[in-house]
Amino acid sequence: MMRALEVFASTSRYAAARAVGGSVPGLALGAMAPLRLVTRERPEPPGPGWAIARPRLSGICGSDLGIITGTTSLYFSALSSMPFVPGHEVVADLLTDCGDVPRGTRVVIDPVLPCAARGLDPCGPCSRAETNRCDRVTVGHLAPGLQTGFCAETGGGWGEQMVVHASQVRAVPDDLPDERAVLLEPLACAVHTARRAAVAPGDSVLVSGAGSVGLLAVLALRRLTEAGRITVVAKHDAQVRLARAFGADDVVRPSSAMSLVRRATRAMRVSSTRSEDGSGAVPAVLARSSLGKGAGAGPFLLGGVDVALDAVGSAASQDTVLRSTRAGGRVVLSGMPSKGADLSPVWFRELEVVGTYASRGDAFEVATRLAADAPLDGLVGGRYPLHRWREALDHAGSAGRLGTVKVTFDARDRS
Amino acid sequence: MSVFTLRPTHRGGGGQRRPSLVRAVTGGVSDVRLVARGWRWGRRALVPASAAGSTVVARKGLFPTAWARTPAASAARDAIQAGALVPVLAQQTDTTVHGRDVITRLRELGDGPIVFVANHSSHLDTGLLLAALPWAERRRTLVAAADYFFDTWWRASGSALVFGTFPIERRASTVSATPGDLLREGWNVVIYPEGTRSPDGWSQRFQLGAAHLSVTENVPVVPISIRGSFAAMPRGRRWPTGHPTVTVRFGPPLWPGPGDTARTMGPQVERAVAALLDEDATDWYSATARSAAGATPSTAAPVVPDGAPPAARWRRVWERTEPLAVRRPRQVWRED
Amino acid sequence: MSRPGLVLEVDDRTPPLVVHEGDGFRLEEFPRGTRVVYPPESLPSVPDVEAAIDHALRNPIDARPLPDQLFAGMRLTIAFDDISLALPQMTRPDIRQRIVEQVLTMAAAAGVDDVELIAANALHRRMTADELRYMLGERVFRSFYPQGKLRNHDAEDPANMVHIGVTDRGEDVEINRRAAESDLLVYVNVNLVAMDGGHKSVPIGLTSYTSLKHHHNSHTMTHSRSFMDHERSAMHHSAWRMGRVLKDHLNIFQVETTLDNECFPTAYGFMQKREWEWSVKDQAAALAARRGLALAPTSMRRRIFQGVRAPYGLTGISAGEVEAVHDATLERLHRQQMVELDGQSDVMVLGVPFIGPYNVNSTMNPILAACMGLGYYFNSYRGKPVVREGGAVILYHPVPAAFNALHHPSYVDFYDEVLSVSTKPSVIEAKFEEQYATDPWYTHLYRTSHAYHGVHPFYMWYWISHALDHCGDIIWVGAEKRSVERMGFRAASTLDDALAMAQGTVGRSPSITFLHNPPHLIADVT
Repeated sequence: MMRALEVFASTSRYAAARAVGGSVPGLALGAMAPLRLVTRERPEPPGPGWAIARPRLSGICGSDLGIITGTTSLYFSALSSMPFVPGHEVVADLLTDCGDVPRGTRVVIDPVLPCAARGLDPCGPCSRAETNRCDRVTVGHLAPGLQTGFCAETGGGWGEQMVVHASQVRAVPDDLPDERAVLLEPLACAVHTARRAAVAPGDSVLVSGAGSVGLLAVLALRRLTEAGRITVVAKHDAQVRLARAFGADDVVRPSSAMSLVRRATRAMRVSSTRSEDGSGAVPAVLARSSLGKGAGAGPFLLGGVDVALDAVGSAASQDTVLRSTRAGGRVVLSGMPSKGADLSPVWFRELEVVGTYASRGDAFEVATRLAADAPLDGLVGGRYPLHRWREALDHAGSAGRLGTVKVTFDARDRS
Repeated sequence: MSVFTLRPTHRGGGGQRRPSLVRAVTGGVSDVRLVARGWRWGRRALVPASAAGSTVVARKGLFPTAWARTPAASAARDAIQAGALVPVLAQQTDTTVHGRDVITRLRELGDGPIVFVANHSSHLDTGLLLAALPWAERRRTLVAAADYFFDTWWRASGSALVFGTFPIERRASTVSATPGDLLREGWNVVIYPEGTRSPDGWSQRFQLGAAHLSVTENVPVVPISIRGSFAAMPRGRRWPTGHPTVTVRFGPPLWPGPGDTARTMGPQVERAVAALLDEDATDWYSATARSAAGATPSTAAPVVPDGAPPAARWRRVWERTEPLAVRRPRQVWRED
Repeated sequence: MSRPGLVLEVDDRTPPLVVHEGDGFRLEEFPRGTRVVYPPESLPSVPDVEAAIDHALRNPIDARPLPDQLFAGMRLTIAFDDISLALPQMTRPDIRQRIVEQVLTMAAAAGVDDVELIAANALHRRMTADELRYMLGERVFRSFYPQGKLRNHDAEDPANMVHIGVTDRGEDVEINRRAAESDLLVYVNVNLVAMDGGHKSVPIGLTSYTSLKHHHNSHTMTHSRSFMDHERSAMHHSAWRMGRVLKDHLNIFQVETTLDNECFPTAYGFMQKREWEWSVKDQAAALAARRGLALAPTSMRRRIFQGVRAPYGLTGISAGEVEAVHDATLERLHRQQMVELDGQSDVMVLGVPFIGPYNVNSTMNPILAACMGLGYYFNSYRGKPVVREGGAVILYHPVPAAFNALHHPSYVDFYDEVLSVSTKPSVIEAKFEEQYATDPWYTHLYRTSHAYHGVHPFYMWYWISHALDHCGDIIWVGAEKRSVERMGFRAASTLDDALAMAQGTVGRSPSITFLHNPPHLIADVT
């Protein structure tokens, strides 16, 4: 038996979280969270190529919080199996040999569970080494789960033990401390994001959001592309400092993001709201009302950045990037989306909207290289034992305001 | 720090404090305190020393009292006088009124206004005098008061309401309503020709204002003497001492004759009041006789032998605070 | 009889004094010994305004009478000061309306057909139709506006501008084409402050960025000491050079007017009075106003104050040759506003009121508040600044980070972007001015909407460069900390706190001078 945090199917809690999760996060992350600390069976390797690992440190990701607070799209409910132990940003010690990685090795995992891990023949994407696009994440000898940490059978980083597949593990260099290693998974995603953004030399880039996703994306964009001016939208002071350290040229507050993009790119600003400059047609009262919300009222740019990246996932952030990108520009969605934004600009401005999910290929190797010298110290701002999970989730839920980027669980800590 | 404080007006109104009722009330209290202290409420406003040269001290217009003569205020005054002033004076003092019939007789002649003239040695005088008047006269009687009496608004409006006082400007210039105007409007007017309360109970020189009014407006002057009020409540006291005996005595009206001026009439008025005081101290007939002989005792100082120095202050006060004989039988004929 | 200005020394008998702070005011108890400068009371105003205007137009200084200069077939242009003057806006009829009506009457009598009226708004926002109607009256408005003959100056229309030449210092002189190509240009001024008028009227009011950048820059402004004194103002020297170039090409008939100090209507009479002379009614009015304002939401407060119309009287009018007219104007203006002040002090206290030249019918944003206090009021001196070099300036204003998006779009970005990079005028100028001045969106809004030009916030910041250069400490009382710190200043909640904060610069018992304005005053510091 082992101790672990598990997400369980509770209709009442789910409904409650869904109802108030957005407005009262404290409640959703506390008493009403569909999460509990349990003692449950240790996960057994479901087949060949699987090994047992003991997590050392596991991060709390925005997508984890989304599941717990019920703000995630129901789309994903079919891609997980209850009850599962979350935690897909993991540094762990191998307790058994795993493929050609010997036991005792400190590893991080690429959490996607592609055909190889499920004992299936490669599907189309898998055969092209696009493992993060695997079409078989709900079948095979494994319960459904798009990743480790959403699957009932693999366990996850928020437990004392988990199982990992040979296709998932990546050995961590000895000189890379746990606090950096736990960031390799998100950093690999950022590397993948930077690739998906396909930034041409000199392109101006807008990154909306300066949580771990946004910050690491800025780092990857700066190191891996020849991006021109990178503008980051950050809410909190600590984020401003970090964004600059990671290579942002400008850091702006959400309220002034669009106007500063406009200024920097010499775009024209248009507004459908009449009060702004007399050009719009929608009365300001209407635009501010619930009728106007989500109906596309508000300002946008004609002109703007070449590439914009949403690293939040909220409708507001998506609106910002969609409305601040030049015609023919690219919008990258790297935050886990929650609610839909108005897509009119995609049509009118002929935007390329690009999603980016997890990572593939050599992203982990590149991430490991970046992590060696990137200014990542201090990013992990919280390290909690499992039984203090409410505290940990609360901390993670307001990490930006508290000046923290990443909050982690240390399952070994029983203090 | 919230980013929303950066928002322009059209996006939310900035970070200014929202108005709150609680803050508005508590702020109001401290504001009032500040202003009350800064502008010395209830006292005289002061001019900063360095601004004295440039500040023209506004000749304040006289305190407006017209409101006190409106029917509503008159009705209120009636009620206060009848309900409070008269009973309180009756309870606190032992007042005897003599000669009220002169008014009855005067009224037989006509309904015109009257100037009441009295000696003045106490704040009690006005109340005593008004209480002594028949109700029908009292309610149409106003009291002329020196302008300094109107220096604070609360004192001025209080006395205007209770006594019907109005200011008379003794230093010329702006007068809102002259006593002449009020007489023409039909009001009786009480005037203390001494101008101010006596410091020692003895009369001061009479000024000619009352006589002037009488002559110019052709109005009768009713002289009144008030004895005992100085002993009852001299300057500096706020309430009568003990249960003092006071007399108020009305004298026959003086009409201005043809060719009379303020100068000729003024001394008549002064003599009439002096004679009343004499009468009150002695008796009517002998006082009348002394008056006819021009031998009415001075009201201005105790009698001293010719050539002797004026009486010392203590003697003046001593004599004027001597208790009046209580309800002595009226001696019309006096035996020598 | 109007009393001269007064320098009060606060003593124990001094009541609290009114200090303006945006859309509100405080009653402040100043430390004993504080000097308070009160402007002179209003001079007697001209009893018959119409006759005075007629007389000035027919008997101009160093120029031919206006009727003699008008003839059939001529091209006549009348330019007038825009809505940045007077402050607050005048009660109707505006003095400009009265003058323009008389000029037009004379022109009609002479049979002049080709007449245009141009608001000399330079890079200010365009005036709305309602504002033009209010300023010039229904008659003028209806006769010219529908035909497009009454319009705002557009400095960004290349076809509308003409390059006249360069000064001996190489400064470009560019002005409105219509004005330049007229047989006669009549310019109607409202000379509320000493900075206005003279060669500041045509060469600045009707010009473009090309010309303005020669004198509206951080260097010139640091060396304009002060710009209320044109003989010691580098900005004015440049404008004067340009004016003299223009003189050879244009026939300008300058009309300048001076106003008295009646800037508050009866309802706000207490603001116009010296506090120790307040009647009970004034005290009650002040208390009631304080309470009312505390209860009113921000938008209502703004509406209340923007609705104030000043019952200004005319103290004089002169017309004719620009420089001669301006001398006469300054003489009257100084008589109305000058207060002699003996020596500088360690600390200067200023209340920034609800209105400045650039937020009429609008919002006073942080940059404009800084400009009003540190640009206008700080510079309202002759001789030496009121505060000694290295001294402290304490200002009152809530400084909310609130902007009017219609009028000040470039201010929003200036605040968000430029000020977060630097607050040093010369740095800002080198790094950002050009970008903002040529930004197509700002230009578009300036030309078609009612926005100040993209470069305008830079000019506001240059206005304060003399103060930034001169003062050791700048502290705002009752201000929003964030916005004040963004501008590189400090915030305090009370005067005592501010003085404590300034201790490092001015010591424990500094000498303090408080300028009690509005009404307007100029401190003649000796």
